[in-house]
Amino acid sequence: MEMPAPNPDILARKSRLVERLQAVLPLESVVHDPSATRVYECDALTAYKCPPLMAVLPTTTEEVSAVLKICHQEGVPVVPRGAGTSLAGGALPTADCVILGVARMNEVIETDYPNRTIRVQTGRTNLSVTGAVEENGFFYAPDPSSQLACAIAGNIAMNSGGAHCLKYGVTTNNLLGVTMVMMNGDVVELGGSHLDAGGLDLLGLICGSEGQLGVVTEATLRILPKPEGARPVLMGFDSAEVAGACVSDIIKAGVLPVAIEYMDRLCIEATERFAKAGYPDCEALLIVEVEGSSEEIDEQLSVILAIARSHNPVELRESKSSEESAKIWLGRKSAFGAMGQINDYMCLDGTIPVSALPLVLRKIGELAEQYGLRVGNVFHAGDGNMHPLILFDANKPGDLELCEAMGADILRLCVEVGGCLTGEHGVGIEKRDLMSDQYGSADLEAQMAVKDVFDPAWLLNPAKVFPLAVSAPRRESLAKLV
Amino acid sequence: MQTTFTPEQLKDPAIARSNEILRSCVHCGFCTATCPTYQVLGDELDSPRGRIYLIKDMLENNKKPDEETVKHIDRCLSCLACMTTCPSSVHYMHLVDHARQYIEDNYKRPFGERLLRWLLAEILPYPMRFRLALLGAKIGRPIARLVPDARLRAMLEMAPKIIPPVSRNDDPQCFAPDVRRRKRVALMTGCAQKALNTDINDATIRLLKRLGCEVVIPKGAGCCGALTHHMGKTTESHVAAAKNIRAWISDMDGTGLDAIVINTSGCGTTVKDYGHMFKQHSLADDAERVAGIAVDVSEVLMQLDMPDGADKGLMVAYHAACSLQHGQQIKTLPKDLLRKVGFGVVEPADSHLCCGSAGTYNLMQPAISNQLKERKVSSLEAKKPDVIAAGNIGCMMQIGNATSVPVVHTVELLDWATGGPKPPALVDAKKPLPEIPGLR
Amino acid sequence: MTPNTEAELADMLAATNEPLAIQGGGTRGFSLGGAPLTLSGLSGIELYEPGALTIVVRAGTPLSEVEAALACENQRLPFEPMDHRGLLGTTGEPTIGGVVAANVSGPRRIQSGAARDYMLGVRFVDGAGTIVKNGGRVMKNVTGYDLVKLMAGSYGTLGVITEVGLKVLPRTDAAACLLLDGLKDESAVSAMSEALGSPFEVSGAAHLAKGPDGTPVTVIRIEGFVRSVDYRLGKLSEILTKYGPVRVETDVEKAAAMWAAIRDVEPFHDVVGDVWRISCKPSDGPTIAARLKSRQLIYDWGGGLIWLLVPADMDVRAQLGSYDGHATLVRAELNTRERLGIFEPQPLPVETINAGLRAKFDPRNILNTGLMQTRTEV
Repeated sequence: MEMPAPNPDILARKSRLVERLQAVLPLESVVHDPSATRVYECDALTAYKCPPLMAVLPTTTEEVSAVLKICHQEGVPVVPRGAGTSLAGGALPTADCVILGVARMNEVIETDYPNRTIRVQTGRTNLSVTGAVEENGFFYAPDPSSQLACAIAGNIAMNSGGAHCLKYGVTTNNLLGVTMVMMNGDVVELGGSHLDAGGLDLLGLICGSEGQLGVVTEATLRILPKPEGARPVLMGFDSAEVAGACVSDIIKAGVLPVAIEYMDRLCIEATERFAKAGYPDCEALLIVEVEGSSEEIDEQLSVILAIARSHNPVELRESKSSEESAKIWLGRKSAFGAMGQINDYMCLDGTIPVSALPLVLRKIGELAEQYGLRVGNVFHAGDGNMHPLILFDANKPGDLELCEAMGADILRLCVEVGGCLTGEHGVGIEKRDLMSDQYGSADLEAQMAVKDVFDPAWLLNPAKVFPLAVSAPRRESLAKLV
Repeated sequence: MQTTFTPEQLKDPAIARSNEILRSCVHCGFCTATCPTYQVLGDELDSPRGRIYLIKDMLENNKKPDEETVKHIDRCLSCLACMTTCPSSVHYMHLVDHARQYIEDNYKRPFGERLLRWLLAEILPYPMRFRLALLGAKIGRPIARLVPDARLRAMLEMAPKIIPPVSRNDDPQCFAPDVRRRKRVALMTGCAQKALNTDINDATIRLLKRLGCEVVIPKGAGCCGALTHHMGKTTESHVAAAKNIRAWISDMDGTGLDAIVINTSGCGTTVKDYGHMFKQHSLADDAERVAGIAVDVSEVLMQLDMPDGADKGLMVAYHAACSLQHGQQIKTLPKDLLRKVGFGVVEPADSHLCCGSAGTYNLMQPAISNQLKERKVSSLEAKKPDVIAAGNIGCMMQIGNATSVPVVHTVELLDWATGGPKPPALVDAKKPLPEIPGLR
Repeated sequence: MTPNTEAELADMLAATNEPLAIQGGGTRGFSLGGAPLTLSGLSGIELYEPGALTIVVRAGTPLSEVEAALACENQRLPFEPMDHRGLLGTTGEPTIGGVVAANVSGPRRIQSGAARDYMLGVRFVDGAGTIVKNGGRVMKNVTGYDLVKLMAGSYGTLGVITEVGLKVLPRTDAAACLLLDGLKDESAVSAMSEALGSPFEVSGAAHLAKGPDGTPVTVIRIEGFVRSVDYRLGKLSEILTKYGPVRVETDVEKAAAMWAAIRDVEPFHDVVGDVWRISCKPSDGPTIAARLKSRQLIYDWGGGLIWLLVPADMDVRAQLGSYDGHATLVRAELNTRERLGIFEPQPLPVETINAGLRAKFDPRNILNTGLMQTRTEV
C-alpha cells in the first residue's frame, strides 16, 4: 500500500515537538521512544504498518485542543486513534504523524434516563456504555462485533454498525451531539441532547468521516430501554444459496427480526472451538433473533420458523436460556478473531442488496478457487453487509498481494451488483484505492471539498479514504505552502 | 500476525513456541478491554496487545531489553484475563513467561531492584524464612510511613497483624477419611500460605476427610515455583517444581493418587502447566502426569457429592481469583458449591478484573496494585455482602487489607456449612453475623 | 425552469447566474426570491425492491405516488412525513425531494428516526452544475463521507437533489392509543418519558394542551401485530395509571386520524398567529414553554418537539433565551420571516463551517440564496 513520503523537515523537528507537547500534557502522556511508538504502528489491520513519530494520550477536550493547536502550528499530521480495532487501517500512522489516542478519555459525563441519553468521553468502549446504564434497564444499540474493545470515538469515525442494526440503526442513527476539536484547536459543539440539530446536518457529516474532519472528544448518545426478552434461533442449511433465499423470504414476510446473521462452515468450526455455542454441523448457519415478551417472541417466531422450514433446514433450534443465547452471540462476535487460529486473514466489508446474496456468495466461492485461497463468510445477512474473511499466510511471500487482489475483486463485485465497498468498517487505507470503482471524480471532488472546509491543510488522518492520485493535487499545493 | 524469525532462531524451542503464539495473534485488540493495567493506565504499551508487540520486537531482533520494554512487561499482572477474552486463543501466558526469562537473562536491573527481587525469591517460597520476615515486618510496621521506598513500604503494610503459629497439619502425614474412602488425594500445602494463614489447609483437610478422601501431605513437596517463575528466574522455579514432581510421583507410583489437590489457585495454574515447563527436560513425562491429576480444590469437591444445605441467610461476595477464572478457566464451580450448601452468592461488577495482588505484584508495583485493590474492594462492598470468599491466599490478603468485611477462603465456608467450625475470620468480625442454624 | 432530466438540470445550473428558488411541490411554504426551479419534470420510481426494503425515487415524484407504491407491498416510509399544506395554507402536491431536502418527519420520529435516517443515497446537482452521487441503495454504507445526511435538511442550499434512495419498512398490522386526560405539561412529559423508557415500543407520544374538547390530552401510540399491541396496551396502562384514568383507543381508523392531526398540527390550521417549531430536550419542554407569555402549544416526540402558536411577529427566540435546542419559524408573514430568520442562528464556529460548505457547493450563491444563512458576519 503506497503511502506519501514522510516530511523530513517534520522528522528533524521531533525533539522540539516532544517538548512542546509534553508542556501541555500530564506526565507519561507523550510516547516517543522508538521502541515504544512501534506499539502504535497499526490497528487490527496488520498487513500495513508504520511506526508514528510519536503518540499522545490526552485526558480532556482542553488537552486535545492544545495538542491539535500545536500540531497545526507545526504543520504536523495527526492520526486520531480510538481503541485501535479498525479492520480497515483507519488508525494507520504515517512516519511523520502524531497519533492522538483517546483511550484515557473514558468517563461517563452524564446519564439522563427521562430523556434517554448518555454523555460520554469518546475513549469509552462501546460495551461499557451499555454497562453504565444496564442496571437501569437501558442499553446502547449499535453493537459492532468488537464492541467489547472498540471506542465510541472509532464508532463515530466509521459510523459503526453491528448485528442488531437491522432494527436499531447504526451509529449515526443513535448519535445526538458531539464536542469536536477542529484541527486548528477550535472546539465546536454539534447537536445536543435534542433530536434533529439545527442548521446543516453536520453531525451526520462527521459520523463516518474517519477522523478526517475533527477529533470528537465527547458524545451524547441515545440509549434505549432493554426489550423484555430476546431469543436467537439457529438455522442450519445445506448451502449458502438456500440460506440466502431464506433471508430474503423472512424480510419480505413483514416480520422483521432484530438480527439475521450468517456464518459458513469454516467460521462455525473456528468459533465453536472458542465459544462452544453448540452451532449446528452445516454449510450455512443463520442466527435469527427476535425480541419482546415471551408470547410476542413465540408469535413472531411462528412466522419465521415456518419460512425456515420451507427451505428444508438441517437443523432448527431455539435458544433455551439466556446463557445459551449469550454463547450463541459470543461465538458470532468472536468470529473474526477466531479465524486467527487458522491463519492470518483480511476481513472485507462490502454491502450488497439482500437479493444478490446467493449470487455473490457463489461468485466468492469461484474467486476463492481461482485464487487458491480459503474464504470464510460471516456477516449481517439482514442488511446485506458481508464480511468475507480471506485467509492467507503473512509469512509466505506473495500471499498478502494475492489476498489483496482477491479482496479487490470481491469488492468490485459488490459494487457491480448495486452495493458498496464498505458497510461499517470504513474505507481507511484498505479500500482507499478502490474508491474510484464506486465513485466518479466529481463525487470524490465533492467529498474532498468537505475536507477542505474542516481541515484546509489536510493534516487530519492523512492518506486515507481518497486514492492518493485523486488527492495529490491538493496535497502537493499544500506542501508548497508549508 | 506476520513474524520475522530466522530459521536459525526457530531452532530454539522457546522461540519456536513464541513464534507459534505470535502467529496466532491477529492484533484485534479485544484483550485490551479486559486488561486491568490498560484500564488503569490507558496506554497500549500497558495492554496485552502492546506487550505482545514489545516482546515480538525484542525476540525477533535478539534485542537487549531496554528500560521501556522491561517497565511495561513488569507491569503485567499475569492475571491472564486476556487469555479468557482472546478469540484466537493466543497463549499469552507462555509468551510473557518466555519474555520474563529473556529479560532476566539479558537485562541488568538497578541494584536496589535486584536486591529486592533476590530477597523475595529467597524468602517467600520458604515458610520458615517467610514467618521470620513477617515477624520482622510486624515490628517494622509502626515506622512504615518513614520508609522511603514505596515497594518496601508496601511490604511492611502488607504484613498481617496476626501471624498464626505453625500448623502441625501441614507436616508430612496421611489423614484417614471420616467415611468410606472414595479418593486418595495429595494436598499441596503451599509455601507462603502456610505462614500467613493456617485455617485454609485445616479446613481443606477436614472437608476432604468428611467427604471420603484419604488426604496425604507428601514429604518433600513445597513451593510450586510460581513466585520465581513470574520473576523470570527459571532455574530457581524449575528446582522447586522438580522437587514437587518427584515427591508426588513417588506417591503416585507408590500407594497411588487420584488427584493432587491445590487450594491456592495461583499455584494450581503453575502446577497444571508443569508439562509445558518441563517439555525439554528429562522429567517431561512425570511433569505431564503430575499436571494431569492436579486439580483445584473446587474441582475435586464437585466430584464428591457435597450435601445440599438449607438457606443459611448469609450473603457471600465471591471474588474470582484470576488464576482460577482465567488461569484455570474455573468460573462457576466455587459459586455452585457455595450455593449448594446454602449460601447466597453475589459477584462484584467487573468480576473479570484482577484485585492487584498477583503474586508479588502488590509488592513490586504498589501504585498500580493499590488502584486495582481500591476498585475491587469498592465493587465488592457495593454488593453489601456479609463475607467475601476467594480461592487464593494472595487475593485474600490484598482485599482483606482494605475492607472491614471479613475475607475467607471458599473452603472455610464449605467446611463450616458441612459441620466444621466457624471460620476464625468470621468469629472475629466486628459485624455480628447471622448464625447458621444448621451448625448449632 | 423545469428540467426533464438530471443532465438538463446540470446544464441549466451551469449556464445560469441568477438566484434560483428550488421547488418540489411548493407545499413547504418558502416563497423565496429568485427564478423558480421546479423539479416536477424529474419524476418516477427508479427501482423498488420490497425484499430488500429499498426504493429509489426521482426527486420530483409526488409523495402520494411513493406511498401508494409502498402500500401495494404492505410497506411504508417509517418516518411518517408531515403534510404542511393545512398548516401553511399552501396547495400543490408534496414531493419526495421536498421531504428529504427539508428532512420532514412525523410523530414516529421518536421511535424510528427522521427522514435523514432512512436516506440511503442521493444524486444531486451542485451550484456549479456538477452532478454528484453519494451513498447508494444498500442499508449499510460508509464508503466515503456521508453527503446524504448533509443533503438531508439542507433545503436545497447545497445542491438540487435529483434522486434519493430510501430504506422502507413493513407496515404494521395494528395500532392503538392510550389517552390520559387533564395532565399539566410537566406530568404529561413525565408520563410520556415513562412510556418511552419502557420496553413496550411506543411509536408516538404527544400532548395537546388543548385537546379536541378544550382540555389537555396526552396520547401514546403503539403499533405492531394484533396480539402484541393488546399485550403492550395492558402493560402500558399499568405503568400510566398513576397519572390518572387511562382511556384506550383501539379503532385503527380513529387512531390513524388522531395521529395525522398531530403530525400535521391540525389545531393550528386556519388560526391566526405565527407557528414555531422547537426542538429541545423533552424534560426541558415545559420550562421552556413557560418562558412565553402568550402561546398555545402541542408537544410531540415525548416533549422534545414543541409546536407553538404565538401572536404574529413575536420574537420567540428572544423570549425563550438559552436552552439545549433550537427554534424554527414555520409560519409567519414575509417581513417577520425576514426580520427573525427561519432558522435559529448557529454559534459562530458552526456557522463558519456551514458558510464554508455553502461556498464550496454553491460557489455563486444561487441556490435558495440566504435561506440557511443565520449570521451576517460570516
